[in-house]
Amino acid sequence: MPTSAKGTGKTRKVLGALVFIFVLLGLYWGLLHAPTHPVQLDIQRIMYLHIPSILTAYLAFFIVFVGSCLYLWKGERRDDILANSAAEIGVLLTAVTIITGILWGKKTWFSPGDWWTWDARLTLTALLLLIFVGYLMLRALIEDERRGAVCGAVLGIIGFLDIPLIHMAVHWFQTLHQAPSILQTEKAPWENIPPDWLVPLSINFIAFILLFFYLLSLRLHVGEIEEEIKKLKLYGRA
Amino acid sequence: MNILRQTYWLLWKDVLLEIRRRESLLSMFFFGTILLFLFHFSFEIPRDKTAAMAPGLLWLAFIFTGTLALTQLFQDEKESQCLDALLLCPMDRGALYLAKVLFNFLIMMLVELVIFPLFGILFNLDLWNLLPSLFGVALLGTLGFCVLGTLFSALTLRARAKELLLPLILFPLMIPSILGAIRAMQIIFGAGNSEELFQWIRMLIVFDVIFMTVGFLIFEWVIEE
Amino acid sequence: MGVVLRRVSKSYGFFWALREIDLTFNKGDCVALLGPNGAGKTTLLKLLSALLYPTSGEIEVDGQTLKQGNLQARSTVGLLSPDGQIYDKLTAKENLQFFTALSGNNFSPRDLDHALGQVGLSSWSDAYGSSLSHGMKCRLAIAKWSLIEPSLLLLDEPYGVLDGSGVDLLESFLKRLCQKGAIVVMATHNVQRVLALCTRALILNGGKVIFDEPRQEPWKSFHAAFADFLPSEE
Repeated sequence: MPTSAKGTGKTRKVLGALVFIFVLLGLYWGLLHAPTHPVQLDIQRIMYLHIPSILTAYLAFFIVFVGSCLYLWKGERRDDILANSAAEIGVLLTAVTIITGILWGKKTWFSPGDWWTWDARLTLTALLLLIFVGYLMLRALIEDERRGAVCGAVLGIIGFLDIPLIHMAVHWFQTLHQAPSILQTEKAPWENIPPDWLVPLSINFIAFILLFFYLLSLRLHVGEIEEEIKKLKLYGRA
Repeated sequence: MNILRQTYWLLWKDVLLEIRRRESLLSMFFFGTILLFLFHFSFEIPRDKTAAMAPGLLWLAFIFTGTLALTQLFQDEKESQCLDALLLCPMDRGALYLAKVLFNFLIMMLVELVIFPLFGILFNLDLWNLLPSLFGVALLGTLGFCVLGTLFSALTLRARAKELLLPLILFPLMIPSILGAIRAMQIIFGAGNSEELFQWIRMLIVFDVIFMTVGFLIFEWVIEE
Repeated sequence: MGVVLRRVSKSYGFFWALREIDLTFNKGDCVALLGPNGAGKTTLLKLLSALLYPTSGEIEVDGQTLKQGNLQARSTVGLLSPDGQIYDKLTAKENLQFFTALSGNNFSPRDLDHALGQVGLSSWSDAYGSSLSHGMKCRLAIAKWSLIEPSLLLLDEPYGVLDGSGVDLLESFLKRLCQKGAIVVMATHNVQRVLALCTRALILNGGKVIFDEPRQEPWKSFHAAFADFLPSEE
């Protein structure tokens, strides 16, 4: 095994340790140390999970786009693995966002007893989840490696280009069409954040970003090992 | 210029085959009609609500029938290896994309040409004066559907369970175009102002232009193995 | 005209169909491509016709690398597949007209009729593709490629469907093509026939070239190599 591979293995371990520290710190600060919300009480602490996960999901989907473009341009398998892994983690984070959002919203701004509201932001996040679940399905249902990579890249690019349009369309649909009383789009529940909450929020955000890159590096490592196996098979027995 | 000539030949072939086989058009037309009956049974639309519900129902019918056509778009040619023969030709892959988009657009518009009046008759909706403007919107919406649908039809061509996969990845991405078409038609039926109408029409045009361009440029990667 | 393969490999998942193949085909070569099932013959033909792209390595046709978007390199490559590649509801003549037009040629109806006559399909020119037999479809394909005249023609097991006169037709067409300086590569299991025709033989096994020699009389080394992997054949 070349020394560079050992080097990246070490970096990954350091990254893993950092993830561990920051997640623990974030959990402690967010759940115990940060002040309780005057109105929403403890349910507001879900914010420390909700916001970092959606922001990291956006980052993940942006990386899907970048990896897809790079793959179509250069044809390096590494870029495809990057895009595919980022999509997997992005889907996970989006699902976390929606679940935490529903739990939070149910206690605060949904109509009493509701489990869902067709608010523009919630709808958009759900659509984002559907689009990238479609991406993962596409990847799973195409056997040929190169073909799957190309199709995934095309879908990754189209999806990314489409998101602003979907965003606009859904917003217009809600604002121009439905009664404004349902609307919550003008002000997000987490706006006007006092500094006491900003610190734990930032720590959790860093923890999520680190976790994301850690998971990504693990997936890339699996890809490298696969390539290694393929090379061995190529030069191995006839 | 060459690309237009190639597009012409490819379209000529598709139209001729459709005239001789009469597969897609007829099955799409009957499927659309059956959907109208199903809508009647599922919703029992009251007379005063018909105009408000018409755009959504019509568009739902077109999307389902259109998906039917999309899954067939490359299937025959793949099975008969004609797709290989096409790819062996030194033609611009964009020409193949344009021809397929135009062909799908053509048969969907023909189906809509029948289904619109049929809806008016079956549900006693007086839409005859509105037909030209409705078709204007339908034109833009259908083009958007074909532009992205053709690309994804080729994309799922070599996947397992492609008939299921195609709508799964196509529909969420079609939302701007679907919303645009439905809202624009609702406004034509009298629910909204003209300013909003133009906003949605702009959305439809932007959608068509963006994805027509992307599809044209990217199709080469999608269709080749 | 020349075709060069440099360390060409193709994998399907973890399976390598071709392993680092280096080959050069020269003007006028008529190559017999032999080997057991699964040796990589069809994969090699698909790579040469750019229906597939190599996992690594590159293929040059006439100094141009075969890759996505390179139409010029592609315009010189033909693949004659015995079954299919014919539209079922277009007539024989329309099929011919359609494919030659897409290849950038403009033939008059008389040219097309002539080409159909050459392959013995005159009376079938207005018949739908679906009513043609396998052998007739193959003849139609011969007519198509004789009009387009590719400078690299690939064939995948064409003998199976053709009758006696069809085989003669095919072989005289291939000889004519090679005399004009084109390269012909034919994958087949009909060793007897192809040995009489070819100027060079290639044997693939396990994704590697295990034999590559110009034709000679007598050809002891060929029979030795051939017997090696297919003992029942010799």
